[in-house]
Amino acid sequence: RIMPVRWSRYNPNYLEPEVKKESYQKPLEELTEEEREQMELKAVRPIKAAPPSLSSSVFSDPMISKFTNMMMKSGNKVLARSLMSQTLEAIKRKQLEKYHKAPENEKETIECNPYVIFHQALKNCQPIIGLSNITKGGKTYQVPVPLTDNRKRFLAMKWLITECRENKHRRTLMPEKLCQELLLAFNNEGPIIKKKHVLHKMAEANRAYAHFRWW
Amino acid sequence: TLRLICTTTAVQRKNVGASGPEKYTEAFIKKQIEEFNLGKRHLANMMGEDPETFTQEDIDRAIAYLFPSGLFDKRARPLMKHPTEIFPEQRKIQWGEDGRPFHFLFYTGKQSYYSLMHETYEKLLNVQKHQDQLIAQDLPLQKEKRNLVGSRWLTKIELEEMLLEKVSDDDYSRFIQLLQKLAALPCADIEEKYIQKFSKEVPVQLQQVIIEPLQHDERGVAFSTGEGKRKTARATAVVYDNGTGKITVNGMDILHYFPVLQDREQLLFPFQFLGRIGKHDMVCTVSGGGRSAQAGAIRLASAKALRSFVTEKEVEFMRQAGLLTVDPRVKERKKPGQEGSRRKFTWKKR
Repeated sequence: RIMPVRWSRYNPNYLEPEVKKESYQKPLEELTEEEREQMELKAVRPIKAAPPSLSSSVFSDPMISKFTNMMMKSGNKVLARSLMSQTLEAIKRKQLEKYHKAPENEKETIECNPYVIFHQALKNCQPIIGLSNITKGGKTYQVPVPLTDNRKRFLAMKWLITECRENKHRRTLMPEKLCQELLLAFNNEGPIIKKKHVLHKMAEANRAYAHFRWW
Repeated sequence: TLRLICTTTAVQRKNVGASGPEKYTEAFIKKQIEEFNLGKRHLANMMGEDPETFTQEDIDRAIAYLFPSGLFDKRARPLMKHPTEIFPEQRKIQWGEDGRPFHFLFYTGKQSYYSLMHETYEKLLNVQKHQDQLIAQDLPLQKEKRNLVGSRWLTKIELEEMLLEKVSDDDYSRFIQLLQKLAALPCADIEEKYIQKFSKEVPVQLQQVIIEPLQHDERGVAFSTGEGKRKTARATAVVYDNGTGKITVNGMDILHYFPVLQDREQLLFPFQFLGRIGKHDMVCTVSGGGRSAQAGAIRLASAKALRSFVTEKEVEFMRQAGLLTVDPRVKERKKPGQEGSRRKFTWKKR
């Protein structure tokens, strides 16, 4: 008897829950054809339960929860969550300092919202193209390959976390270091952006092998 | 074959009819039916009821009264049903006395499946011919989209029951693809009856749940109860109207019972979703499970209790947000030969 490895306790008929309040308050006329079909489908099919990390409040953000889960070690979500909130607080403090010191005309350009800074920094860190090892005729080549959205986000977050865990002065705490890296990435500077550019250059250099990709 | 962990009742039923040619002769089944009818009349006489109007439910009640059994499995208890339900329908012998088979596709091995595919393809060609005729006469094609949302195709087990022979997964998916192709054509209305034979109605989910009305306690305040569970935690919640938004768990305030922000967020999730944060009071009791499981159980209990305070549309929104489903995820068992549920023992070369 063979047991499937990736299975879930839910029937394949179950659909993902939609938590945001705004999507339920739209009147019928504004919806497109696809959205109308989706709504009808949802009325008939059963829906999975919302996981504990997801909530309809303003403070829950899917990217932030993904990042906290990646930072978590041995299932210590409490610690990871507190580190994340300390990081966001530290970002806000630094930006407020800069805001109060800056002259009048520059005050509007300084971004104070830590969520906006986080999202923008992640976007700046995402690579566009990646390399994959393809073995042909006995030799393994590094072939440039387009990446999916999920993979790009995952790589950006992974680089951030490894950078903060390894390359820091012995006494700096994780929130401080994360905050520095996020602000640097927001301004398109810093070691992670450099890593992304290095990857792009390698992909450009191996452009000749691009035809090895079959998918 | 893969064993599914998440199964519906339709999938779990074993199809005995498709296993092979008949093991019961026609004469045998006829005799069983006569005996059943006689026995029904005797039973009605014994119970003092009218033999003419003795329904299947009365038979079940009579048998349960005369032969009480304490066995847990309902299928093991004494049973008296019509022989067609007990002896499943099976295929009669497919060839005549001279050995020649009746059906022209007998030697393919899956005669009913291939004849079904043959018929369906014939209908498809019909529809295409009709379409070509309409185009030749420059008439507009009817483009009413069949509402595919309220109906589902037959499952593999149901198809096997219909055809009385085994259908493999590949064959089943090919058949469904052909049906979908047929249903997607604009002039498919001609063959509507044929398609309806293979589709079933799926009722709207919400109609299956009964919402209880509000109860009132001594001071005239409206309240309602709800129960919820998650992993091993069980919770009951009582939501009162005209409140200040105070929440009490096992006699303690939520700030003392749930020091973690995530759990408190989960407790307030149903209220925040409906926009009723300061309007309700809640008193709940919870036991079992861990920190997060108890929070999830209370969330489910409060969502169920809030259904009675809210319009039907909002109940449907809550269901689509995933607040009203019981989370079926539990701890996976440890398997022998492995250290945990997934982790294997360290591999040593020698």
